[in-house]
Amino acid sequence: MEMELMSSAEKGMLALMILIIMFGMGASLTGENFRYVARNPKGVLIGFLSQFGVMPAIAWFLATYLEFPPAVALSLVLVGCLPAGTTSNLFAYFSRGDVALSISMTTCSTIAAIFMMPLLLNFYGAPFAAAIDIPNADGTEFTIPIKDIAVSLVLVLLPVLLGMTLRRFSEGWAKAAEDTASFFGIIVILFLIGSFLAAEHRRELLFTTGWNVYAGSILVGVIGFLFGYIISALVRLPPRYCRTVALETGIQNGPLAFGIVLLAFNDYPQIMNEVLWLPILYSFFIVITSAFTTMFFRKIGKVDHEIYENETVQKRLFGPEWVPVTN
Amino acid sequence: MAGATILETQSSGSLPAKRPVTKKHIDEGLDAKTLPVLFREAAAVWGRRPAFARRAKNSGAEKNKTATWIPTGFDALYQEGAALATALIDLGIEAKDRVGMLADNRIEWIITNYGIQLAGAADVPRGADVTPGDVSYILPHSGATACFVEHLELWNRIKSVRGDAPGVRHWILMDSTQAAPEGMLHLNDLISRGHALREAGDRRAEERTDGVRPEELCTLIYTSGTTGAPKGVMLSHANLLYALNLLPIQLSPNDRVLSILPVWHIFERLFEVLAINRGICTYYSSVRFLADDFKTVQPTFMGSAPRLWESLYVRIIEGVGRAHPVRRALFHSAYKLASLYRGSVNWLTNKNLQLTKINPVVYWLGWIFHAIRWLLVIPLYGFFNVAVLERLRQGLGASLRGTVSGGGSLPKHVDEFFNNIGIPVLEGYGLTETSGPLTARGVGNLVVGTVGPPLAGTELRIVDINTGELLYPNPALPYGGRGLKGEIHARGPQIMMGYHNNPEATAKVFDEHGYLNTGDIGMMTFTDCVKIMGRSKDTIVLASGENVEPVPIEDRLLQSPLIDHIMLVGQDQKYMAALIVPALSGLESHGIKLNDVSEAVGNEKVKQLLAAEIRKEISAETGFKSFERIPELRIIGKPFEVGDELTNKFTMKRNVITEKYQHLIDDIYK
Repeated sequence: MEMELMSSAEKGMLALMILIIMFGMGASLTGENFRYVARNPKGVLIGFLSQFGVMPAIAWFLATYLEFPPAVALSLVLVGCLPAGTTSNLFAYFSRGDVALSISMTTCSTIAAIFMMPLLLNFYGAPFAAAIDIPNADGTEFTIPIKDIAVSLVLVLLPVLLGMTLRRFSEGWAKAAEDTASFFGIIVILFLIGSFLAAEHRRELLFTTGWNVYAGSILVGVIGFLFGYIISALVRLPPRYCRTVALETGIQNGPLAFGIVLLAFNDYPQIMNEVLWLPILYSFFIVITSAFTTMFFRKIGKVDHEIYENETVQKRLFGPEWVPVTN
Repeated sequence: MAGATILETQSSGSLPAKRPVTKKHIDEGLDAKTLPVLFREAAAVWGRRPAFARRAKNSGAEKNKTATWIPTGFDALYQEGAALATALIDLGIEAKDRVGMLADNRIEWIITNYGIQLAGAADVPRGADVTPGDVSYILPHSGATACFVEHLELWNRIKSVRGDAPGVRHWILMDSTQAAPEGMLHLNDLISRGHALREAGDRRAEERTDGVRPEELCTLIYTSGTTGAPKGVMLSHANLLYALNLLPIQLSPNDRVLSILPVWHIFERLFEVLAINRGICTYYSSVRFLADDFKTVQPTFMGSAPRLWESLYVRIIEGVGRAHPVRRALFHSAYKLASLYRGSVNWLTNKNLQLTKINPVVYWLGWIFHAIRWLLVIPLYGFFNVAVLERLRQGLGASLRGTVSGGGSLPKHVDEFFNNIGIPVLEGYGLTETSGPLTARGVGNLVVGTVGPPLAGTELRIVDINTGELLYPNPALPYGGRGLKGEIHARGPQIMMGYHNNPEATAKVFDEHGYLNTGDIGMMTFTDCVKIMGRSKDTIVLASGENVEPVPIEDRLLQSPLIDHIMLVGQDQKYMAALIVPALSGLESHGIKLNDVSEAVGNEKVKQLLAAEIRKEISAETGFKSFERIPELRIIGKPFEVGDELTNKFTMKRNVITEKYQHLIDDIYK
């Protein structure tokens, strides 16, 4: 592809939006989220396993067996290695999951990503990188710019720290930042699709993209949901935790991928389009598949949610010594 | 005081053997044919689950301290009730006796009700706002042999008329924080005595329970109707238990029901019995704590009155008005999208209000339009529903799955508002005479502007008021009589046994086929829902034979700032006339400054002002017929008051007003 997928102005806009989203994400975090992990280590641990143990493997598997072009395959693995996205909290709420667990998992995976992402990317991405036929800046064979990715990861996560700092000082402003960010989460996808469909040569990309790439970008999330649920059900987490872990596993932090690609792949304009295209597709489809999964979860989770909610309310009203009667 | 007896389960023997909760219990409730058997079954099946909960004294008073509530289990409730029943039997209360209950919602109410029912007697309930006049009529008329009184304040108000009810041999005080005065027994003492008797092997309560038959009187509810002396509506166990299963909402033991309406009304009573049937905990709230309880109890269901929804509506709209412009815009967009979405869904599923037959071509063209609109709106609606409307619903208690509104009709804009934002308000229609529900709008069948379709086993007829001709269902008429206005007659297993000791009134209200004349005017819409349109008993028939519906005319005139209250008269007369209580603030804006309404009587300027206002509002130009015009009026110098000229629901007692101001009416038509 000769033409650039995005103009530099559009890239700037995207970068700004990512900044806002990450800042808002930080603003939504409190010390309670970390204390929650200490109280419920099992849920978070299973989530961690599912997110970093299973998701990258699913991505690798799909990229291999759907015979992705190497650069796109690398991009899918990148998506697979991402930490959980903030929208998962919203979906966890509506799927009658545990919002506190969702937020804690998002927080933990985001921090862990600084170490886990470069590691995993190197491991699962190496075979695809070897097949990419472009030279590095110094003329040697292409290797994944792990160092740049790690640096860009830190750079993109910096606003999260700033957001957390803001939270400490002003809850009101933090809430405003949080609201703005959740709004921008949707806007950024619409922006990408819009700016994309605005130009003829980009519209063509819709038709030149192979069915396997579409299938992969949809399936990576869906299989993530499935495995997330199965793993947490196997270790007998309560159903509402299973729903949360499932969504948390499948929903990745798309904007983070854009940020990394923009920063770390700047030296590889030949494959930048391909590497950027997949996270866009993923981010678009994950909203739809999450919505349907959430509706499904809402339905199957109705009874256990009502039982849980009733017991919670009764415990609060009748005092801690109150024991709910199960039969 | 011995208030603790209510809490601590005293094992005075013979709780019914605990049985496991089955899927059938959860899906269909308990299997009981009478109220006392239902109470016993609830103890056997639901056991220790909380049945009723009340605020602990002084809770919520300290800031930042969450209110604590005291639960009473189904088993404990049964034991208290059985003990009370035993004590009542010991006092000489016979099976089928009537026992008065003058009290509002509280845990002692339900314990007392258990006691009366388990003793095989019937209850005669009434609220604590009962007037001495009502007491001296209801107690002797019902033949009550004992009477429970909520607290000393009420006792002091009514004790002077106790001589009017010589049949009442025992007066029993309910409030456990007060000591019984001379001449009264105390509920707690009776319960303690009952426990002692049961410990010694007394099983008379069980014998009485088993002796009750479904077709016998269960409760005798006196209606404070708009016409005539109160009438005692006799409801049998079969009536009540049939009505129970008619409500179109599926509840399970994991629901939480908030109790706010007076329990002596059949509407709220039914929800409490329903909760017992389904193993649900009922939380006693009050107007003062309602907002708080919405947050802490997170009710999933409640019976409610239109006034609650109106005030919530006003609060939300005011809140939106004060909100940040961005939030306001978000809300308005969300609401607009929601109303477009619901509008299309209603059209597509044929759930909109249809008072006239829609041409099928128009309908299907509309269908295509709405199908396209629905597809366009749904992604945006989905987003705004999740992002904006959910927060609004959270503010009202995110768990609320629905509510049945009854006891009056819900204004259309309020009705639409809550259904649009996704809180289903299931409006129902019924009377005390019908043990509550005749029709109700279920989830998925929310035709706004109607009270829903007739419920299972309920036969409805629409009858022409003047000719008595059957309008619906009548295959001889176009569309089987749909869209025709008439009086609603009803038949079904929930319809009352009759009026107590009042065969004339009973004969008058039932026709030869056993249909009860509801006295309401309505029609069957083209989507087979009932729309209520007024009261037939309010209808004024002029000497010329013309029928005038006074309510729409009065409602229109009540919007005038000059008028506080208005009642139209003219039965059997040549023309209509109005009795008016003018509004002082309205008069003042016209330069007439009065200190009291009584000064308006005889003031010609006021009279002319009012007459001009009526001429302006009620004329051919505003769509009124010539015989609906009001050429005469008289001024009343005293505002209408609840308990006197107004019922608790603020509707006028036309008979009372007519009687009181007969001299003015005579003066008009002299």
